[in-house]
Amino acid sequence: MSGSHSIRTQEKAVRSTCSVLMLRGARMTLLVCFMASLFAVSAYADGHEADVAMTKYRQTMMSGVGANMGAMSGIMKNSLNLPGHVANHAGQLAESAQLIAAAFRTKTTTTDTDAKAEIWTDWKSFEMAIADFEAAAKTLQTAAASDDSAAVGPAMRALGKSCGGCHKTFRKPKEESYKNK
Amino acid sequence: MSLFALHNRPLRRSRSGQRIGLGLGTNLLANLVPSFALTLLIALPIVAGEKEGEHIFRATGGCSCHTNYPGEGETAPMLAGGRPLETPFGVYYSTNITPDLETGIGDWSDADFIRAMREGLSPEGSHYFPVFPYTAFSGLTDPDLRDMRQYLTSMRAIRRENRPPDALFPFSWRATIAGWKWLNFTPLVIETNPKKSTAWNRGRYLVEAAAHCGECHTPRTLSGGLNRFLWLAGSKDGPEGERAPNITPHKETGIGTWTRADLVWYLETGIKPDGDDTQGLMSEVIEHGYSALPRSDLEAIAEYIRAIPAIKNKL
Repeated sequence: MSGSHSIRTQEKAVRSTCSVLMLRGARMTLLVCFMASLFAVSAYADGHEADVAMTKYRQTMMSGVGANMGAMSGIMKNSLNLPGHVANHAGQLAESAQLIAAAFRTKTTTTDTDAKAEIWTDWKSFEMAIADFEAAAKTLQTAAASDDSAAVGPAMRALGKSCGGCHKTFRKPKEESYKNK
Repeated sequence: MSLFALHNRPLRRSRSGQRIGLGLGTNLLANLVPSFALTLLIALPIVAGEKEGEHIFRATGGCSCHTNYPGEGETAPMLAGGRPLETPFGVYYSTNITPDLETGIGDWSDADFIRAMREGLSPEGSHYFPVFPYTAFSGLTDPDLRDMRQYLTSMRAIRRENRPPDALFPFSWRATIAGWKWLNFTPLVIETNPKKSTAWNRGRYLVEAAAHCGECHTPRTLSGGLNRFLWLAGSKDGPEGERAPNITPHKETGIGTWTRADLVWYLETGIKPDGDDTQGLMSEVIEHGYSALPRSDLEAIAEYIRAIPAIKNKL
């Protein structure tokens, strides 16, 4: 009797130990999963914040490009007496062109953007479009700096076309802009 | 003259088939008379009206819908048609208006051309789909239409068959257009308004007839006619599925904050007051058309547009 009792007691102890171990394992697994999810959420939040920040930088930087275009147009269409200003603005545009590729190199996940996926799927064409823009800005800068009035008009037009050429392929049309949300 | 003068950007590529015919006919003479005299003999009767024709051609936006830039890029065969034009009724394809004798309009007379532009009828009498804006072109004068045909016949002839529309019955059926015309089409008559300035009158002619601004910038009724109560107040169903903005002088929803200089500059360059560029069909009609108009025409357009009633219509 005492022998069988002792065996049962041992079995009980083993079962109890096993269940304790299983419980601990399960808890450990849960804890690891919980920690991992916290880490993933935190990493996503960090990445998303970085994406949002990068996107906002791009948008602000491109607004600066637009502002230069608008200011330069304002001088030309109203014949404002501001010698050297058109060349200066054109020079700023050529400088800005050198920032665009680096600013767009990282593909971001934010949805509040008008940047099209084609930027990253056709990076070479995007770089070529930027190069066209830079060359057009420099041509206008040269024409304006040398007061070559016959060349300024076509150069301005070519610059506007280079903006449009890039936006046509790489920026969402107004109808699809995130600003309409 | 405008910043990008008309004559600085010659569009003509070569003589048409008709011209070649004339040239062949005079080859024998070439051995008999000095070349300059021959040039005069041939050129004088043919070139008359071409320059004026280019002027009105540019004022229509360079007939950009007839070149398939979106599908074939910058090297698309000019004016050879085949461009898909999306409408709420289906997809229609622009036609070949080069002087090709078989697939273009090379065998048309002045009367054929005027009838097409005024009445929307082919030389055989069939109705054109109103995606071709004869509703506006009907207001063009006879001399302008004759000159425009003259200019078109100077373009390079390109052989390209016209394509039927991808539209469901009854919108694919030309006979339906007779009913559409009965409902929606009254030929445009533009009479000079003596109470307004010469520039305003010229601007009205250009905006309403030649540049046919209302065809895109005015919303349409259920039957596809223009909703005159919202004249130039913008359309969500603009050309090729694009949104055509409100261009009335309404300050919040239109272009009421634009100055005359802003408008003239925009039509010359496609650059908006905020420095942004223009996309879509508008960028094409500026590039191939309006940007080459004389400054006086652009100022006339600006004067007229700024004087139309401001309509609140947010798209």
